[in-house]
Amino acid sequence: MQQPRIARHRRRRIYVHRKVCRFCADKTMAMDYKDARTLRHFTTERGKILPRRITGTCAKHQRKLTSVIKKARIMALLPFTSGHAQE
Amino acid sequence: MELRYYDTFYLLHPDLNDEERQAISEKLQNIVVESGGQVVKIDPWPLKKLAYKVQKQSHGYYVTMEYGAPSDALEEITRNLRLDENVMKFLTTKLSDAFDPALIAESREASSPEETAGEAAAPAESGEGE
Repeated sequence: MQQPRIARHRRRRIYVHRKVCRFCADKTMAMDYKDARTLRHFTTERGKILPRRITGTCAKHQRKLTSVIKKARIMALLPFTSGHAQE
Repeated sequence: MELRYYDTFYLLHPDLNDEERQAISEKLQNIVVESGGQVVKIDPWPLKKLAYKVQKQSHGYYVTMEYGAPSDALEEITRNLRLDENVMKFLTTKLSDAFDPALIAESREASSPEETAGEAAAPAESGEGE
């Protein structure tokens, strides 16, 4: 994914495009632990935090994102795990 | 005493009625005001489903309170939240080291025409309050 697109790669994936950090792209997008709906984009179905290589978030915002998600978990806005999910 | 800008977010028991919830909110506001602080925003959420059960409850009322207060007022607020059995969870975060009501009102006005108003009003810097 991260490799530059050069000729010999062309035969494989053409649709690959560089992911951009969503928080850098939209500076007005505030990171808030109360906004569980947005944070869900950055967690798996099991409630794990998605790695940077999947979401494309930059290092700075990923650091922040992890702490924000953890705060949301503490306040029962996000699940720690789907094992305790309610029907 | 220098004021700092805090945000206290707490979760109330689902069986409480409007008046009981109002009473808790007012009690907290009084602590802030008595300590020489100022409450900027109170945002009670409607009954919400929790991500996991808390004290055997699957729903709860969330309330946000943003205020400027001296740091020792936090101790009193935290003590009250801990003592109250109807408060199931709470989290206090510091939104900013300096509290400037004029600046907050200004930034709120500036961002209100947009969809993202409300929560976006505070500066991005935040840390653990407790």
